[in-house]
Amino acid sequence: MARIVRASSRRDVLKISALAGLGTLIGGSPGWAAPKKLTLMHESSFIPPYDAYVKNTFAPAYEKLTGIKVDYDVVSVGSLLTRVTTAAENASGPDLTAIGFNWAFLFDDKFVDVSDIALEIGKEGGGWYESAQESVVVGGKWKAIPFGNIGQLMNWRTDWFKEAGYDKFPDTWDELLEAGIKLKKAGHPFGFELGHGFGDNHGWLYPLLWSYGGREVEADGKTIVIDSDETARAVDFCRRFFKETMFEDCLGWTDVSNNKAFLSEQISCTNNAESILWSAKKDFPEVAKVTDQSENPKGPKGRFHMLNPLCHAVFAHTPDHKAAKDFLRWLMAPAQAGAWYDIAVTYYQPFLHAYDDAPMWKVEPRNLAYRDALKTAHLPGWPAPLSRAQSETIAKFVVIDMFAKACAGKSTKEVIADAQGQLKQIYRAT
Amino acid sequence: MTAVLAASAERRRPAFSLGRWLEREGVFGWLMVAPPVVFLVALVGYPFFYGIWISLQDRQVAKPGVFVGLDNFIADWHNPVFWQVVANTFVYTTAATLLKMVGGLGLALVMNQDFRFKNLTRALLLLPFIVPTVLSTIAWQWILDPAFSVINWALMQTGLANPGPSWLGNPYLAMFSLIMVNTWRGLPFYAITLLAGLQTIPPELYEAATIDGAGRWGRFRYVTLPLLKPIIFIVTMFSVIFTFSDFQLIYVLTRGGPANATHVFATYAFDIAMGAGQFGQGASIALSMVPPLALIILAMAIYLRPAKS
Repeated sequence: MARIVRASSRRDVLKISALAGLGTLIGGSPGWAAPKKLTLMHESSFIPPYDAYVKNTFAPAYEKLTGIKVDYDVVSVGSLLTRVTTAAENASGPDLTAIGFNWAFLFDDKFVDVSDIALEIGKEGGGWYESAQESVVVGGKWKAIPFGNIGQLMNWRTDWFKEAGYDKFPDTWDELLEAGIKLKKAGHPFGFELGHGFGDNHGWLYPLLWSYGGREVEADGKTIVIDSDETARAVDFCRRFFKETMFEDCLGWTDVSNNKAFLSEQISCTNNAESILWSAKKDFPEVAKVTDQSENPKGPKGRFHMLNPLCHAVFAHTPDHKAAKDFLRWLMAPAQAGAWYDIAVTYYQPFLHAYDDAPMWKVEPRNLAYRDALKTAHLPGWPAPLSRAQSETIAKFVVIDMFAKACAGKSTKEVIADAQGQLKQIYRAT
Repeated sequence: MTAVLAASAERRRPAFSLGRWLEREGVFGWLMVAPPVVFLVALVGYPFFYGIWISLQDRQVAKPGVFVGLDNFIADWHNPVFWQVVANTFVYTTAATLLKMVGGLGLALVMNQDFRFKNLTRALLLLPFIVPTVLSTIAWQWILDPAFSVINWALMQTGLANPGPSWLGNPYLAMFSLIMVNTWRGLPFYAITLLAGLQTIPPELYEAATIDGAGRWGRFRYVTLPLLKPIIFIVTMFSVIFTFSDFQLIYVLTRGGPANATHVFATYAFDIAMGAGQFGQGASIALSMVPPLALIILAMAIYLRPAKS
């Protein structure tokens, strides 16, 4: 081989390269001969078979049906927003993407209007939950198709609660506090995230605020109302709840901390997605046997949950909008979507009423609370409409830190004034 | 005769040669400098000036920017969290740099002695610096975890504390923990660089100082330290820059929590730009690092400049 190369003159090499390049241009141009391709970007799922199902089942099936190849681009947890930002800013990259929270609003111009297929899917699926529309309808247009909610609920130890005299999960925050005091004394404290994580902090602190009647901003999206007696009561409760049922480290926890603490039997109750029970069943079967999940407790103004939606959007830069929407339509048809939900065993709670009594809910009855929680789930910033101020409030941890600072020792008046000041600055700039 | 001379002069005039032209000092110098200059302009200069341009706009993600002058900087000025971030960054940088400087110098002095397994020890010393920061930080996350912390386990076993301290939950301890982890990671850089400097000091100087009656401290004070000054300056300058703009370690361990107690410029700017989609404001926070950093380096350059003797 070496001899052959040496025998070729430099000119020969240039000729061969030029011919090869020309050949590629003529024969190998992906625009001419290669099959059409769609790329769907997703954050790596906590449930590995969920991602594998797209690669091994959906992609080949769709290619067989339409000749269109589907690439499933999985990005690491926590980096999806950065990748969506890059794709939207550069108008290149994947054709479709998973999105969450209020991204449909943030990237409004960069996503295709999918109202037509959303209405069809809704009709076919027995109607959308009201909460489904909260994060994807922007200016009356559906900018994404809701897929499922990753609910955040109470995860608790049935054996230890029973020892403390509770056969079922306490119905109100006050009753939960009472139970927590007993359990902490018995060496089984609670552990709720109060640090700068992505979701487990919002998962209980926003519902707590709402259940006491507190709000950041009115439905007009302009009037800041965090400085209220209701907020003060929620903050006072939180401080007491922290001091009497938890331990100091919760102030610095991120999203993995409470999972680790629960699975290593350090805590008796936390707020989390279904991942704790899922991991316990896989790796800690003894813990799984004594773990249950319940809706958040009620406060004086009701029971609330956080909306944590996973939706699919089509980028405006994708050359063939129709092909991308057709794929999304196919993906959400019961034959496909139903199987995808089943794979994740309710980790993604469907926003379509047709799935309310689907067999997947019978696989693990302890997950049923996640379905029921959809009726009272809202995005942070509720009841204000989607806005960029919402994102800024989350990124600055305004509400989370209001509670955390109170737990760390600051006065209620002081922490509410801090939050009020920040919110005024954020919403004024909107 | 004249014709003959002219003809021979014509023969002697060298034809243009690319090789010779390239070898001319002026041309060759520029050729050598051009790639790094292009590299710096493209990958450092352009993003830097683009960052300044963005910081002067109300630039939201996926939306065109609107020029707002210094509004973003004024908003930062009135934001109490921004000032907390400034204070955190200074505490973090000052404490970690001082610890690394003192610890690194001590370590270098020890490593400069003769002892068994000296080379192996020197190689092992570099481990914290070699291991990718995210990986070593995840290990630290476990070490500082309340449930699994080996430190707390040891404290509880010896009866010194029960439960152990909340390393990442208490605002002061969280900052302390981050400074410790940063020091652990950056110490080898100081130690190895200063060790290289120590080895360039001629032994005769120590001998002369000893003859003049200098003890251990005298030799260190009047021989080692003055000769190491230029290296201490360089290594401290690098360390200040890296520590001031640290991101990975803090983002993995605390993400700026609890309640912003460990947010520094880089983590806060990232949260605002990428989390909130406010590129303009994020850029203004990131750029606010530049003036204090430049002042620190200038002050260091003046204070640590070599004596003119």
